[in-house]
This record gives sequence, structure tokens and C-alpha cells, in this order.
Amino acid sequence: MALSRIRNFSIVAHIDHGKSTLADRLLALTGAMDPKKAVDQVLDSMDLERERGITIKQHTVRIPYLAEDSQEYTLNLIDTPGHVDFSYEVSRSLAACEGALLIVDAAQGVEAQTLANFYLALEANLTIIPVINKIDLPQADVEGTRRQIAEILGLNPDEALLISAKLGTGVPELLEAIVHRIPSPPGDPAAPLKALVFDSFYDPYQGVVVYVRIYEGRVRAGMPALLMSNGRVYEVQQVGVFTPEMKPVEELSAGQVGYLTAGIKRVADAKVGETITDNNRPTAEAFPGYRDAKPMVFAGLYPVEDTAYQSLRDAIDKLRLNDSALTFEPETSLALGYGFRCGFLGLLHMEIVQERLEREFGLALIVTSPSVRYRVITTAGETVEIENPSKLPTAGEIDHIEEPFVRSSVFAPTEFMNPIYRLAQDKRGEHRALEYLGKRVHITFDFPLSEIIVDFYDRLKSISKGYASFDYDFLEFRPSDMVKLDILLNGDAVDALSVILHRDKAYEKGKTLAEKLRAVIPRQMFEVAIQAAIGSRVIARETVKAIRKNVTAKCYGGDITRKRKLLEKQKEGKKRMKQLGKVEVPQEAFLSVLRS
Amino acid sequence: MTLAWSPSRRGPLGVYLHIPFCRQRCSYCSFNTGPYHPAAMDRFHSALLDEIDLVGEAAWAGDVTIGTVFFGGGTPSLLEPIELETILDRLRKRFALDPGAEVTVECNPESLTRAKAEGYRLAGVNRLSLGVQSLDDELLVRLGRLHSSDDARRAFDAARSAGVDNVSLDLMYGLPGQDVARWESTVRGVLAWRPEHLSAYALTLDEGSRWAGEGVAGLPGEETVTAQYWALARMAREAGYEHYEISNYARRGFRSRHNQVYWRAEEYLALGPGACGFLGDVRYGNVKPVERYCTALEAGGLPLGTHEVLTPAQRKAEKVILGLRLSDGVPLAWLEDARSLVETWASLGLLEVAGDRCRLTEAGFLLSDSLFVHLL
Repeated sequence: MALSRIRNFSIVAHIDHGKSTLADRLLALTGAMDPKKAVDQVLDSMDLERERGITIKQHTVRIPYLAEDSQEYTLNLIDTPGHVDFSYEVSRSLAACEGALLIVDAAQGVEAQTLANFYLALEANLTIIPVINKIDLPQADVEGTRRQIAEILGLNPDEALLISAKLGTGVPELLEAIVHRIPSPPGDPAAPLKALVFDSFYDPYQGVVVYVRIYEGRVRAGMPALLMSNGRVYEVQQVGVFTPEMKPVEELSAGQVGYLTAGIKRVADAKVGETITDNNRPTAEAFPGYRDAKPMVFAGLYPVEDTAYQSLRDAIDKLRLNDSALTFEPETSLALGYGFRCGFLGLLHMEIVQERLEREFGLALIVTSPSVRYRVITTAGETVEIENPSKLPTAGEIDHIEEPFVRSSVFAPTEFMNPIYRLAQDKRGEHRALEYLGKRVHITFDFPLSEIIVDFYDRLKSISKGYASFDYDFLEFRPSDMVKLDILLNGDAVDALSVILHRDKAYEKGKTLAEKLRAVIPRQMFEVAIQAAIGSRVIARETVKAIRKNVTAKCYGGDITRKRKLLEKQKEGKKRMKQLGKVEVPQEAFLSVLRS
Repeated sequence: MTLAWSPSRRGPLGVYLHIPFCRQRCSYCSFNTGPYHPAAMDRFHSALLDEIDLVGEAAWAGDVTIGTVFFGGGTPSLLEPIELETILDRLRKRFALDPGAEVTVECNPESLTRAKAEGYRLAGVNRLSLGVQSLDDELLVRLGRLHSSDDARRAFDAARSAGVDNVSLDLMYGLPGQDVARWESTVRGVLAWRPEHLSAYALTLDEGSRWAGEGVAGLPGEETVTAQYWALARMAREAGYEHYEISNYARRGFRSRHNQVYWRAEEYLALGPGACGFLGDVRYGNVKPVERYCTALEAGGLPLGTHEVLTPAQRKAEKVILGLRLSDGVPLAWLEDARSLVETWASLGLLEVAGDRCRLTEAGFLLSDSLFVHLL
């Protein structure tokens, strides 16, 4: 097919603005999908994605379209993950396109992720088509939304298309706009192969299926494919397109989007952003901007049952086949036993991994409080990266600690400004900019990442009655007054409860943890001192008094069996106890503290 | 058909006989007992004699000595002396009842007269255990007892004047509305009577009791109950009593031999509904309902309910756990596998090691279940 009849585009939007509904609508209108087979929102195929209404793993599909000019076009819809955790993946998907449909909900207006996605599309030099969706809703404010598109995004509001993806209103016009406004892909099919990997998944039969956009040249089965970041060479086994089912084709050439398989064993070997070329006739230069997805959030994952350690390892290994952003290394905790310190792109990524491990692999997990990666500058002048509080060098070895900051956007109705500023202050946010947009504001804050990975988003939603939206991007490491807070039971530190946090937060956190523990630790044979300490300085203390009496007064009429059974029951209960030093804590209770 | 299991040695064995009737059920009671009717007692009495005969048919029966007999209940003092005498005679007929055997009858104050006490003594009873519970009349009413503190005193005097020189008193503490002072007053009162033996149990709300079902207001807190335990321990010591078991005190030479059979994991026969026995490595119990018990015996069968064969490990654990209830303690060697526990407990003052023996202290008694659970 001639390049002039190909359009490569993405749909980007704030969550719930209708991206998936529009994708389904496009597929249905063009006959790419048998409507009878259509599961709602077919592109979001993982169960988890459907439940959460978000796209985690992107998908791509080729849509044949007979335009009003009676020409048949190939529209390649390249889906993007709909969450900030995956912004690098979004940027790579956008790099595979020439245009983007920027969806804005007519009832909600421009939101934080609208803006974030808009910037990503701009950076990728895409032609952006603003699309105002949900115009059928009674509360739709088309004119207000137009104004925001002009004021916030600087786009021409007259170019915005008005649609209802749900009803199909305006969708034929949208298809025409894709054909007319988005440029056809450039590229020379005769040049050496240059293909961008923008996604991949692991198939148990074919190995890794790599999603590629061909920029130059052509690729077909049998070609030796060179992965330019790692220098590995694989023989291409199959090339094809998504209809949305995988359909093999002879070849993919410049401007086209499709997939290839080449016996690649792990997703991590063909990462997003990779450049593939012909090993016999390589292209001169790889695509710029390739980087490893860097985990931002870390937590310890432990099996509830010690015996499940190997199963957990196997399960994480399997997830890794498909998720190159997930990192892990073995970790031992006195309190929790053997487990793994895992790295995630963000909180959502962490939740997804946890849920998949529990759901798909039937594992019962203990997850420690999430933390971030800190940079420790030692007195010897070395820089050490620490993602596990127990690995923090001693106070004497630390010159200073740097913590990751993000730049964030908050969009909200003006009436919620005060609580949002209070929340930001509580979360050590630094105000950067404030922009009034009619009845709404756009506030820019810098936040320490550690402050927003725990209970920030929920609180923001709660104080704004659900109206505020939030997005962030990594900014830089900055020196901060960080300390390690330890929780000690009768002098022994409970490693699983140690946290690195800002000095200003240490007292409150220490007090809360100590109080919570006091509430869940049953009385022991001896008094239990619960201390929260920074180094050797105790900042909070609680006491669990010793048990005074635990005795079976009588064994009436020699009924020894009854007494033994009672004791045996108690003993069963003990098995569910976690031994923290000399102190026994019911596992469930300990977990409740860990989760908080 | 007789018992399928047999004692591991020739004795002496203990015998526990359960008399399952009461005139009124006490508020705290979860034991196997039902309302008293003379006709029901008659039927039960002959069933009990049948049971002694049946068990006595065992090949080993004639060879074992019986060292202790305990009539428990229910209210055994509802038995007329003649009824009790026929039971003891039947035991003597079937087994070798040691002439020096300790024979105890539990008595409720309202049903013990001097004549009855004397009748019991003449039938061979040499120890009475009197259910005094409290000298606080207000509490006695709440407990559902049918006697007053004066009645208790009269019953005690009746026993004495009938020539019973070994009397034990049962007391309860941790009762609703009972503070430490009220408890001390009861203890002071009964110690002045100079009984040979005292048993004192903290109230527990066991399933099956009225209080467990309906709830009860005014229960004292753990601090109070603990203080009551210590008050008794102190007052009994000052009065010359030995705290020889978690809940039991005795003047020199008057420990309950029958109860020590339990604590030393020695063997005993079960007779009567719901009674528990221990022979060889089998712990067993009779069926609990009186009706089923009688019917089984009337049909010529034993009224067995449950039984459990102990593994060697269970036997060993029981010996340690039961033995540690006694102030004599157990050989240290029995706790070889629990050395660090012993050290911890000793360091907390809950346990003492003396020579090759190890025993709980009075503080250790109070927390004993926390140790025992580790020794299973």
C-alpha cells in the first residue's frame, strides 16, 4: 500500500474521558471488528484493565477505511497506556505516530492528564486533533471546553471535533479528519531497515511478539534483525499486522505498523524504545531517547506462608517475561522471612503486580510500605542509591541524602484551592505556578515523590469531591533532611517497619506506628516497650503491660482431654503469630500495621 | 462386654464416680448435672452398680488396688448413706479397695447433716469436700446456691461432730461485685474454721453455664482477680497451709490424694455419666446424658462415649503439664527440649530450678497456660 494512504495515530485522554469507547467505535464503524464478538472495549483486554477501566498494556490495530474520496486507507490505531506510571511507554507509542486525537470530556474539561498527554504529543511533533467527547451528556459544556482547549492548550478551538463516542455522533467526520489532517508517514522503503519497538508481549509459543513501526526500509521473515541497544541478532520468523487478531503478512515496509517475532525469549531483551535494523545492511543511527524504564517505587513482597517463597519467585519470573519494568532482588527480613524487594514504575504498577500475583498465581502476599529510591552521598564522597531502609548507611557515614522530586499538575474547581494547598503543604509540596481557567485552576507543585506515593491521590480526590485531577513527572533529586525511623520492640528493631522519611514527619509517623502496634500486640509474659527511634534517640514510646493471669483453674473430674484440647487450640493460634524478637504478634494484626 | 483397655500396672488406681443430680443448677455451673428426682436417682443408682459390675468383669479387675475414690457431681450428698454404702460395697466386691484408701464425697452445705456425715463415715468415707464457695450471703444468692454462710458453717460443724477429721472447702473468687476486701473476708472466715484443705477457683464463664449464655454484670477486672489470688496465697501461707497445686492448699499431710492422681498422670477409672477415666494410654469418657447412660447399662452394655489413645509424645507432654501444676514440679530432665523456655521463665521469676527438679512459683502458677502451650 502506498504511504500516502496510511495514517498512524494514537488516542490520548485523561482517564474516563472516553478513549476506549472511541477506539471501539472506530473499529465497529470500519468493520474491523465483528460487533457480535466485541467484548466491551476490546482494546483493554486484560481483566484487570477492564475492571479498573484503564489501559495498562497498550494494543494496536489496523483499521481499513473507505474514505469519502473512495480511496481505501489504512488507519493504524496505536493505543497508549492511560496512566502516569507509564509515561515513557506513552512517549514511545506516540513516537510511532504522526498524529494524535486528544480527547476532552465535554462535561469535565481539560484535566491533568489531558495536559500531560498533550505535552507528550507535542514533544513527539504530532499533529494534534482536539476532540470534544460526550457532547450528548446533559451537563456537557461544549463552549467552555472549547475555551479551555484554546486557553490551556493553545490549540485552535475551531478545529475541535464534536463527538459522542458512545452514540457514534461525529465519528464519520472524525475519520475523515484523520485522513485529511494527519500527514501520511514519511520513509523510504528502499533504505536500510529502521524500526522502532513501541511495545511487546510474551507469547508462550512464539516467544516475544514485538510491536514495530517501520520508518525506513522493509522487514520480512528470514532477515537477521539487529537490536541496536544490546547488539543482539535474531532471525525474523514472522511479520504481520493486528486486525486486531495477529495476521501474518509478506513484509512490513516504511510507514507501516505491525509486529514481528524472532525467537526472542524475554520481553526485557526487546524493550520499548529499541531500534531494530537489518544486520546485513544496518541503518546508521538508532532512534534517540531510548532508555530503560526506571522503577520509581519500591516495596518488599513476601509470601504469607514461608513455604511459598519458591512459588513467588517463579510467579515474578513469569510476570517479568511480559513486564520489563518490574525489577526484583531477593531480600531477607527478620520479621517477614524471605521475599523480594521489587521496583515498580509507580503505585498503580505496584498494585497491578500485586493483584496479578495474587489472582493469577494464587499467592497470599505481604507487601511492605512503599518507598522511593534515595541517593545517599557518603562522607567518603560516594553516591549510593538506597531503596531499602535497612540498607541505609549509618548516620556517621552519611554526608547528606537526596530524594526524588516530581513536578505535578493539579486541576480543580477554584472552590477546592484551600484544601488542596493545605494537602500540598502537608505533603511538603512547593508551589510553582497558579493559573486561573475560569471556574477552575491549574496549580503546579513540586513534590517529593515519597509523599505522593502513599495516600496522596485518595486524599486529593476526597478533599475535592472527586473533581481534582493530578499528574506528575520525575523532576530531579534534591538534598533533603531525611532520617531513618526504626520501630523497636523491647529494644529489637522490627526491620519490616523501618522507613526513611523527612525529619519533620518522623515524630508523627513514629507516634502513629507505636500506637497502632500497641493496639494489636497482645499482652505477653513481660511488659513490651514499643519505641520509635531515630538512631539512638527515642521519639515515641508505648507500653503493652504484661499479662497478669493465664491459668486453667481446674480440670474438673479429671477431664484432662478438655484442657489439652484447649491448649492445643491456643497452640494452633500461636502458629499464626509472627515472632518479632521475643514478642509474639498475630500475623493479621501485624499486616494491618504494615499496610497503614 | 467389659472395657477394651487396661491399666498399665496394678495400681493403686483412682476411681471417679459422677453423681449427676442437683436440686438447683448454679449460675456458673457447666458440669454434667440435671434436676434431682428420687426416682431418677434410684434408676441411676442401680445403673451405676451395674457399671461397677461390668467394669469389674475385666480380667485385670481383681488384681488392681484402688487407692482413692472420689464422689463428684452434681451433688453427691444427695445420696443417702445407705445408697453410698452399696456403691462402696460393690467396689470392694469387684476390686481390691485399699483399707487405707482416701474416699471423698463432695457435699453441698444444705444437704449435709450430722447424721448423713456420720452415715457416710461409717460407710467408709474419710474425707468430705464442702462446697462453701463464699461466706458472702449476697454473693451466694447470685451464684444460685441454696445455702447461706451460716448453713455452710453448720455443715462444717456437722462434719466435725460426726468425726470426719479431713474436710476440704471449695471457694470461688473473681465473682461479680466481689472486690479484694470481700474476698479476704471470706478467706479469713474459713481459715478460722481450720479446714484440712482448701480449693479456690477463679470464676470462669464456661460454655453451658447460665452466666456464659446470658452474660453477667459486675465481673471484676484482671487486676482484682490477680490481687485476690495473691491475697489467698498470702493468707493461706500465714495460716500454715501449703500451696501445693495451682488452686489447692492443704495443711501438712492433707493434700488431696485423689487430685494428685490427676496431676501425676496416674490412672483412674470413670464411673457415672460423663465421668472421665485414664487407663494405660487411653483417656476415655462415658456418655453424658443420664438417660443414655442408664439405657446403655440396662441393655447390658458399657456407657462409653469417647476415647482417645495418647501418643507417646502426648503422654509425655501431659505428664509435664500436669506435673507442673503441683508445687513439687517435675524432674528437670523432662524439660530437656525446652531449655530456653525454662531459662526465660526462671529469669522472670516464674519458675525455679532446684537440684534436678523444676517447679513453677506462685507467680508462675498464675501464668501457667502460657508455658504449657509451648510444652505440648
